[in-house]
Amino acid sequence: MDRDGHPDGEAEAEGMNICRPLKETIPSADTLATSLSLLGNHMFSYPVERDDGATSDQQEPPDSYLSHVTVHDERPDEEPDSNHRESPQTEDMDNSDCHSNDSRTADGGTKEDVVDIDQSDSGEFVVTMLAKAKLEEQGIGVKGRSSPLLEVGTEETPAFMSHRDEDVTADSWREHRKHVFVLSEAGKPIYSRYGSEEALSSTMGVMMALVSFVQSGDNIIRSVYSEGHTVVFLQKGPLVLVCVSSSRQSEEQLRGELLYVYYQIISMLTQASISRIFEHKKNYDLRRLLAGSEKILDGLLNLVDSDPSFLLAAIHCLPLASSLRDSLSQILQKAITPNLVFSILIAKNQLLTIVQEKTVIEDTRLEPADVHLLLNLIGASSAFQAGEIWTPICLPLFNPDCYFYAYISYLDPPECTVCLLLLSTDKEAFYAVAECKRKIEEAMLAQNSLSLIAKAQSYSVSQVGVSDLRHFMYKPFDVPDNHRQLTQFTSPEMEAPYSSEEEKMRLLDLYRYMHSRIHSTSRPLKLIYHVAERETLLAWVTSKFELYTCFSPLVTKACAITAITKLLRWIKKEEERLFIRYPPKYSTTPNPSKSSRGGKSDQQDSTDNGFLQFVLTRQKLKTLRLTLFQEE
Amino acid sequence: MKKPDVKVVLLGDMNVGKTSLLHRYTERKFKDTISTVGGAFFLKQWGPYNISIWDTAGREQFHGLGSMYCRGASAVILTYDVTNWQSLAELEERFLSLTDTANHDCIYALVGNKADLTDLKAQLPLDLSGASPASLSGTGLHKQVPREEAMALYERILRYKGLDEKSSLPAEKMCFETSAKTGYNVDTLFETLFDLVLPSILRKRNENLVSPTVDLEEYREASARRGKTCC
Repeated sequence: MDRDGHPDGEAEAEGMNICRPLKETIPSADTLATSLSLLGNHMFSYPVERDDGATSDQQEPPDSYLSHVTVHDERPDEEPDSNHRESPQTEDMDNSDCHSNDSRTADGGTKEDVVDIDQSDSGEFVVTMLAKAKLEEQGIGVKGRSSPLLEVGTEETPAFMSHRDEDVTADSWREHRKHVFVLSEAGKPIYSRYGSEEALSSTMGVMMALVSFVQSGDNIIRSVYSEGHTVVFLQKGPLVLVCVSSSRQSEEQLRGELLYVYYQIISMLTQASISRIFEHKKNYDLRRLLAGSEKILDGLLNLVDSDPSFLLAAIHCLPLASSLRDSLSQILQKAITPNLVFSILIAKNQLLTIVQEKTVIEDTRLEPADVHLLLNLIGASSAFQAGEIWTPICLPLFNPDCYFYAYISYLDPPECTVCLLLLSTDKEAFYAVAECKRKIEEAMLAQNSLSLIAKAQSYSVSQVGVSDLRHFMYKPFDVPDNHRQLTQFTSPEMEAPYSSEEEKMRLLDLYRYMHSRIHSTSRPLKLIYHVAERETLLAWVTSKFELYTCFSPLVTKACAITAITKLLRWIKKEEERLFIRYPPKYSTTPNPSKSSRGGKSDQQDSTDNGFLQFVLTRQKLKTLRLTLFQEE
Repeated sequence: MKKPDVKVVLLGDMNVGKTSLLHRYTERKFKDTISTVGGAFFLKQWGPYNISIWDTAGREQFHGLGSMYCRGASAVILTYDVTNWQSLAELEERFLSLTDTANHDCIYALVGNKADLTDLKAQLPLDLSGASPASLSGTGLHKQVPREEAMALYERILRYKGLDEKSSLPAEKMCFETSAKTGYNVDTLFETLFDLVLPSILRKRNENLVSPTVDLEEYREASARRGKTCC
């Protein structure tokens, strides 16, 4: 939903978004509104109003619960087109309409003390109870009181305070740009990006109450809009994910980010085992299994905020002379062992090359999201970089129910910038896979690959040779012969004026805004020319590519179009260097004598093998599940 | 590849300091570590021998892999946190059964880490006698696990393994209290263990030399390598 583009759509912008229309009026909108405001009072630094009749606001009609709790239909035509004259093709916009549209009424005067919940509708929902519990527990709305638990936390020296020890009653906690919570259907906290889950258990209880309240009317809660904040809900199996964001991202983008969080959890536990666990025991505390993994989720959320790969759902590979990339691929191609399915080489957290088992390629393509999760895992587990890591990992988009076994080792200790990742379907294959690394190391030493890799770096936009062009992101849809391969994008370094962290973030936010307009569910656009305060952006999507460009503010439209033509020509010329063009394959059959034939094993064999691998993985999963359940 | 002669496995609940212990021993440093993912494999040169060390994740999430890491182990270091009684209990409840796949002559060490938090003497590393006395601040945390408890657990482990107490290594020798932070007792721990597993290395080497039977493991590996580039 596009708030900025709808200056008139405020009534709906500040409301609740439910995916199916309610047939009648909401039975206890009052309760719902109350719990919303309770949630709001904790989450937002300003009061979220509870609009019950007694104190109804000036600009709202008295019968307007529904203007605060707005129910949205999925049908796109429901969305009022308001007074927007933009054509689907191009659109000119005045500058700064994107980031200064805060004309919503300041409702500072209408705040209420939410403690006195005067709930006459008896038999009303747990929300109220939960809300009350929350108030008592944490002193929300009761000034000068905070729980003893939290006081202990604040006494610690700040140096040792992590996000997890944060005082969740403090303003600084509320001011975080983006909160993410994960809870179980029973309302048990599983993860919070900031603050400890224990301290937030009642907040999460309220969230769950909202979810189940809407569910009780055969609806699904999707989002809640308030001034400056968007709350997005995502329900996946027995897990509920909630994002509370003050960034100006679209609901779809935020939901996409929640999905990444869900996938990261799946990558550690698998979907099947999570379902099994909760089928078995509804109020299971999943933190038992995720303990220690918080850093991986924290790392993911930081990446999601700072790396456009997630927004574009594409992989950014390190630019490399195609001859070097090919020679690296060949090295990986030769170092194989039965049941090896992916060999991935990474430098500076960017992909150098990826070699896949033949049958795997024909079966399914490797999704960018799975690679993102792998890269994040490597980033978050580099504690002790001299060793060789062996760990189970699930690639949720490849198969959410099975584990692969990942071998992770750095090839250039102690610098630890070049990382080798080998994925096998065999739990016991560590020593065989480690032997592959030995071969790769030897071959790379012989070809002096490490020093060549060390020279590789991202490029500067100045190499494109287009004045006024400051930055761009280009995502091709059809690298020839590559349509079933990994989706990639290319982008230069962010240079001045986008060198500081704040400026980088600001540019990314502009890109996110452009992206949300292009991919708007109600009114998708093909081309946007957006004059912002300090730069001009042009986003363009065709059947062949998706392109986001950033120009200096004084560029003219004609200039920008010419620049883009030049840019596209340059990318075409550099294609070989910027992208992994023809991902090589190998064939690893379970029979060692066959594997020695390298990549030349015949089709029939490898197809059978692919099936076998799949079955084997399933078997392993079962064993693992069993071990999990013996625990309880 | 340098074939490891012997396998040592670090087991224990999360946050007891397994990675830190190993890091202190191999890198001579103490730094903040991130929760281990799966298991990490290290190869340590000990004189002419290669000792492989598996640093495992203490998290329940990776429990299923534990027995794989322990397969064929010659020494298992069962680690707990002296300030956390539960971490000792977890060893018996959760980790002991994983060692079923270890060698039958595997030796066990019980290690109480974070001793610097409870014991003055552990605040000074043994090998650093000249440290300033000013660093000897009061002990902050209450010690929850006396060494006697660990020794009692050691006896129970021997019984669980069906080992004769008299012919096995004494609890007195196999229960350590260490501090990865100050380095207290860390070298002693690893070096004692390596000295103890040495006989098993030698015996294994001898067996390989004189054994008239075909080693299937060896054979399989050789055939796997056949036809590939290098051996």
